[in-house]
Amino acid sequence: MILLERALIDLLLNVFTREELNAFLRSPQNTATIIGCLIAISGALLGSFLLLRGMSLTSDAISHTVLLGIVVAFLLMTEVFGMEGDTSSPWLIIGASLAGVGTVVLTELLFRSGLVRQDAALGLAFPLLFAIAIILVSRFAEDVHLDEDAVLVGEIGLAWANTNSHCYQHCDSVTITPEHPAATLARQCSNCRELGISPRDDGAEFVEICGNCGVYSPARAWSAGLLQNQPHLVFFPKSITVTLVMGLLSVCFVVIFYKELKLTTFDAGLAKALGFRPGLMNYGLMILVSLVAVGAFDAVGSILVIAFFIIPPAAAYLLTDRLSLMLLLSPIIGAAGAVFGYDLARGQLFGIWDVGAAIAFINQSLGLDLPARWDSSISASMVLMIFLFFLLAWVLSPRYGLISTFVRRLHQNRRFQNQVVLAHIHNHQDTERREVELRVDTLHLHFRWQPEKMRRVLARLRVMGLVRMVDQLVELTERGDAHVHEFRKVMLATHNVPDLD
Amino acid sequence: MNDKVSSALSVGDLTVAYRSKPAIWDIDLDVPEGVLMAIVGPNGAGKSTLIKAVLNLIPRAAGAVSFYGKPYERARSLVGYVPQRGSVDWDFPTSVLDVVTMGLYGKLGWLRRPGRQQREQALQALDDVGLTDLVDRQISQLSGGQQQRTFLARALVQDAQIYFMDEPFAAVDAITERAIVNILHQLKERGKTVIVVHHDLQTVEDYFDWVTLLNVEIIATGPTADVFTPDNLGRTYGGRMTYLSDGQLMPVGD
Amino acid sequence: MPGSTVKAKLRSDDHRVWLPVIIIVLLGLIFLALSQAVFGVRYTFTVRVVALGGAVLGVISGVLGCFAVLRRESLMGDALSHAALPGVALAFLLAGRDLSVLLIGAGIGSWIALRFVSAVLSTTRIKQDAAMGIVLAGWFAAGIALLTYIQSIPDASQAGLDHFIFGQAAAIVESDIELISIVGVVVLIALALFWKEFKLVTFDPEFASANGFRVGFINTMLSTLVVVAIVLGLQLAGVILMVGMLIAPAIAARQWTRRLNQMVILAGVFGAFSGGIGAVISAFDSDIPTGPTIIVVAFALVVFSITLAPGRGLLWSAWRQRLDRRRFAALNTLRDLYRYAIAHGGARTPVPDDFLRGIDDRGAALGLRQLKSAGRVEFGDGGWQLTQSGVELAEGALHNLRLWELYRLYADELALPMLQEDRQRDIRERLPADAIAALESRLEGRQS
Repeated sequence: MILLERALIDLLLNVFTREELNAFLRSPQNTATIIGCLIAISGALLGSFLLLRGMSLTSDAISHTVLLGIVVAFLLMTEVFGMEGDTSSPWLIIGASLAGVGTVVLTELLFRSGLVRQDAALGLAFPLLFAIAIILVSRFAEDVHLDEDAVLVGEIGLAWANTNSHCYQHCDSVTITPEHPAATLARQCSNCRELGISPRDDGAEFVEICGNCGVYSPARAWSAGLLQNQPHLVFFPKSITVTLVMGLLSVCFVVIFYKELKLTTFDAGLAKALGFRPGLMNYGLMILVSLVAVGAFDAVGSILVIAFFIIPPAAAYLLTDRLSLMLLLSPIIGAAGAVFGYDLARGQLFGIWDVGAAIAFINQSLGLDLPARWDSSISASMVLMIFLFFLLAWVLSPRYGLISTFVRRLHQNRRFQNQVVLAHIHNHQDTERREVELRVDTLHLHFRWQPEKMRRVLARLRVMGLVRMVDQLVELTERGDAHVHEFRKVMLATHNVPDLD
Repeated sequence: MNDKVSSALSVGDLTVAYRSKPAIWDIDLDVPEGVLMAIVGPNGAGKSTLIKAVLNLIPRAAGAVSFYGKPYERARSLVGYVPQRGSVDWDFPTSVLDVVTMGLYGKLGWLRRPGRQQREQALQALDDVGLTDLVDRQISQLSGGQQQRTFLARALVQDAQIYFMDEPFAAVDAITERAIVNILHQLKERGKTVIVVHHDLQTVEDYFDWVTLLNVEIIATGPTADVFTPDNLGRTYGGRMTYLSDGQLMPVGD
Repeated sequence: MPGSTVKAKLRSDDHRVWLPVIIIVLLGLIFLALSQAVFGVRYTFTVRVVALGGAVLGVISGVLGCFAVLRRESLMGDALSHAALPGVALAFLLAGRDLSVLLIGAGIGSWIALRFVSAVLSTTRIKQDAAMGIVLAGWFAAGIALLTYIQSIPDASQAGLDHFIFGQAAAIVESDIELISIVGVVVLIALALFWKEFKLVTFDPEFASANGFRVGFINTMLSTLVVVAIVLGLQLAGVILMVGMLIAPAIAARQWTRRLNQMVILAGVFGAFSGGIGAVISAFDSDIPTGPTIIVVAFALVVFSITLAPGRGLLWSAWRQRLDRRRFAALNTLRDLYRYAIAHGGARTPVPDDFLRGIDDRGAALGLRQLKSAGRVEFGDGGWQLTQSGVELAEGALHNLRLWELYRLYADELALPMLQEDRQRDIRERLPADAIAALESRLEGRQS
């Protein structure tokens, strides 16, 4: 992890100066946006396959359990192995991911028992695991450094402050021993408590305690004033590294196994017959989803993360039919949500619209007294922004959007009405019942249509030259006749495909 | 639409579309009272769609339907319905007797509960279909044929004049098949009209006295002897027919 | 007359349901005694109020959860409960912290979410799971954003809105109980009045529609009741875990019974148990959040029911499977051996071990062991070989199968008694001799 970070910084230092880099990363906005984008990209890539497999809510199950994995792994690390707890530790990430995959397997087992349906199995399993995690969090809150707020929304706004320092010049680490001139020494009574006496009493024994001994990294040494030369440091937020690794893993996974993923998603049976392993692909996907959920936990908590998996692919799915395009569009939508979401949390919508103004308006019109400064959760705002993009796609998509669908329906309905009437005339015009069936003034009754509607359709057909009126009866023109034969042929052809089920 | 009151079902210019694609197309159909009618046609021909549209279960694009000269809203108590067996969840926690009693809910109307009398009626219907021993079974423990007979009993308690059955013979055992046929004949003797979506061309002539050949449009309708001809079948199935050695017909790939 | 036997059977079936009810009551008493004697809990007025509130809320969510589970809408419950949060926050912003106002807000939030899901489903090709995920995440994010905004309002922090996230039983006071009970009674009365309609529409909406019931209306009514149950339960379980409170009692109840009415009653009992006990436990100590505790109690009931419920439980079916495997292993293996041998040359052709194990490893091993000790097969010549007595037995079994097939075809024609088919059993044990004779003559007629 550290090495990777170092390599990354080396790369960046070729382009930027150290000061520029530090200043850039110290801005909460920059760090939060980068982390948000990285989570959005990995989530959207994996989520696209989840969506197409009808497994979107599996990400929900995984993200809930991942919390339990994190808490248990954290407690194990600190209480049992005596390590320092750190939510970006690789051990913790691996442990928690395994827990995530474990849930999927467990719900599968619960479902296979045949006693509980799949939706109920999921609906049972994840509240339970989440509940256990919350109980542990509130019992051991001090040990796990987590509170319920962090679980819900994460701390993406503070990610810039949780850094690893990397030193490039004047990298002297300092070790302070009790002999060191800077050591602060104090005498402490070693047997007072045991004997129940005060340090001033006789028989009290003393030991010397060094208050600040230990090994000082260059960064700490400098801030403690132990160094003459300021070390050249780069402070790199840990969350960026973690989410970057997750992002790279997801991209690599999707690029390398693109063909396999595609085939197992659309036709698991065929994939199996061709020697691919659908089960293996499935578990690979689950493992990556778990990894991303764990990696994103610090930043966005364990519930909002599912938005990054589900919503951008759903929006992209409304915009395109092609998998490759979907894999391109959904990360863009997610990343755009992260970028604009940060502004939304500070009260700015796309930089043109001020939430404060809206609140002022509400105050005015409803006679309320709400504070005009809108300052809210960054991660939640990012999700809201992604959701807004989904709404836009839903309304405006050129192919599947509400508007274009409405226009197309209207057009199809017209054509369909034309065809219904033409077919009716065709069926009856050479029979003895034509006097009953084809009278212009009663034609609408046969269809149970409003007279107005029938008049419109007939007018349209006459303009198109498909029907004509003879003695109050409608009949097909030659063109109309040809038209009927044409669409009947098409229609019957599409219906008569041999169906071998 | 039709002024002949003797017809049990009269359909005029009925068209149904899924997303503006026609599923059935300008259907005109008159079914006389007291016949056993099969609706026959290839997969995707709109057989079930026709029944569902007639019963107002799916919206119609155009057309009118009347039962004994009355529109559906006023003729509801005259109509009994046996849906496809696969359309419900057979793991639902309820008993055979309970399912059959559901056939009477429509007559009871809002707020009234089924009582002793409804129970007796349901038991009688179960006796008619040969399920007396199983009245208390949970429905998931029934075989496919028994499930079908349960549905049949549920329609019988409705005591309707005209029955619609959606593929009652699909994947049932021989006992059930015979039981259903017996019921069909009893219904006919009591002057009821029965309309059945049917798949098996071999048995059409044995079981039904009236037949409608459907492939999106009506190909032919009338007494089985007149209508169920190789020529009409060929038109219905678009030429995909083979003749078996004993002169019977089979649709290819069915 | 079939009626009398039916009545007898119904009565014996009813008894089974008393078993879990008795168990639950006993468990509740044990908890009461233990908590007083061992943990020194004193049931003060406040604790009693909390327990009562928890139990009433548990009954309501358990009862309506049955319909959510049977309509396969468990996860919809999850989405709807998350979706209540922005409603709560907006209601607080616009109208203050009165509980009934907050609940109405929550209800409106969930209800809009419900409509949103059906709008997405009916106008796009997005499937239900993704639609619910979108609603869940989008609404929850809106709720969180509003809550963080509310925290910036002076003296809004004690509004207790975060109780709605994880539930807080200790916050239930006497006046809340009144509200909860009134709404709860209204919900239960509505359920009783429209019981017949709800059952029919849940089981077979198409048939209901053909019978003139307004299915859309009834469905909306039922969904609205489920939303009301969710909204009420939020104080107890919180938005995130509410789905567990909704469906766990129903799933547990489903294992014990085959009747909807019994399932609903039992789910109410289970819900009351988990709600009441969970609320009391968490009221002892402010460190224990209510929602999670209730969920753990409710899930314990599910595990208990899934393993132990008579007839359906895992222990029972494992036992039955074991018996079946033992009973039929030899016969199945013999049949497989015989078919393979006939197809590959003759009844005594050796059959490779791999073939049998490929079909059913454990069954084959068991079957071969039984057959070998009975002297029906031998191992040799690179495979398993039937002995003479083995061949006879196999032919007998095959004959039995043929008779069953004929029974299926001609039972009606020959007026044979109706039987539940069980092809593993000897048909001669099940049918009278003259019926067997009739079938045998058919078989001869066919073979000649």
